[in-house]
Amino acid sequence: MKNSCSSVSTLLEKYFDLEVTDEERFLAEGHLQDCPACRAALKSMEELRTWMRVPVEEAVQKEDFPWVWQKIEREIRLQKRRTWWQSLRAWLDVTPLFRRKVWIPAVATVVVLLFISTEIILKKTPSYPDGSVVEYVESQSDNVMVYQLEEEKVTVIWLFEGPEEERTTT
Amino acid sequence: MAVRRSGGGTDNDMRKRVFLLTAFFVFSFFSISTALAQVQVRMRVIQASNVGQNIDPSLKDVHHELGSLFSFTSYRLLREETLRLSPNQPVTITAHPGRFLEVNLVGLQKDAAKLRVRVIREGKDILDTQVRLSPGRTVLIGGPRHGEGVVIYALSARF
Repeated sequence: MKNSCSSVSTLLEKYFDLEVTDEERFLAEGHLQDCPACRAALKSMEELRTWMRVPVEEAVQKEDFPWVWQKIEREIRLQKRRTWWQSLRAWLDVTPLFRRKVWIPAVATVVVLLFISTEIILKKTPSYPDGSVVEYVESQSDNVMVYQLEEEKVTVIWLFEGPEEERTTT
Repeated sequence: MAVRRSGGGTDNDMRKRVFLLTAFFVFSFFSISTALAQVQVRMRVIQASNVGQNIDPSLKDVHHELGSLFSFTSYRLLREETLRLSPNQPVTITAHPGRFLEVNLVGLQKDAAKLRVRVIREGKDILDTQVRLSPGRTVLIGGPRHGEGVVIYALSARF
């Protein structure tokens, strides 16, 4: 089967770069035997490569690549040497959150927790106007007496325990 | 050439950060709440009697009050304990042989802790009381017999 130049010309660059499959290589070589135009095109590619290779190789020889690598490695090392404080700050940096919608549930959580904590704080505020300390006292078996010394800030609850005592509940 | 979407790793990292920060915040909140709701009660078990004239050196701070309230000549510290009370979690201690003391934090106000104190003998409440204990105030519960004297429980709060 005869292949047209247009169908092979797309294959020619791949053939030149040795990127073709065996089947494509067989197809291209069969066509090149019969087609002087494509042979000329292939030859011009080879010439172009030769022309380019020389100045590129010269330029590469002039460049000091080890020095470039040293510079890159030094930059990497510098980036790695972060203090623990810098690392912590970077980790705790929440500014990206403000660019996203994740702050909405976060703020909601904080508001709920603040509401709960306010309830707890408010619950603790009432104080007792009277100086009474004992709210109730009872005994199933013995007499009980309560007395309070305001100056000393001492409250005494005294239990009259014993069989000889009168057993009533106060 | 495959095009990789940049920022995928950052998204995961960000989610992890948000989760950890939220977890830390919630944990801290509940820890602080629990700590704030806790009350430390200093409890001293004192034996008072008229045998001898010994005043325990560790009772120096309450000796004046004891002297002005009672006519005992000897005071001896039998036991001292700091109870860390959380709301509605009663703490029971063996006050002295045959008697138990149960202290329960039933309420906490800004300037007072509400405590329910029970003295139990042979499974029976020989005393059941509820007191409001503010910082600097001492509640003395006395009377139960012990040896040749009586026992006085001295309770004071710190919060």
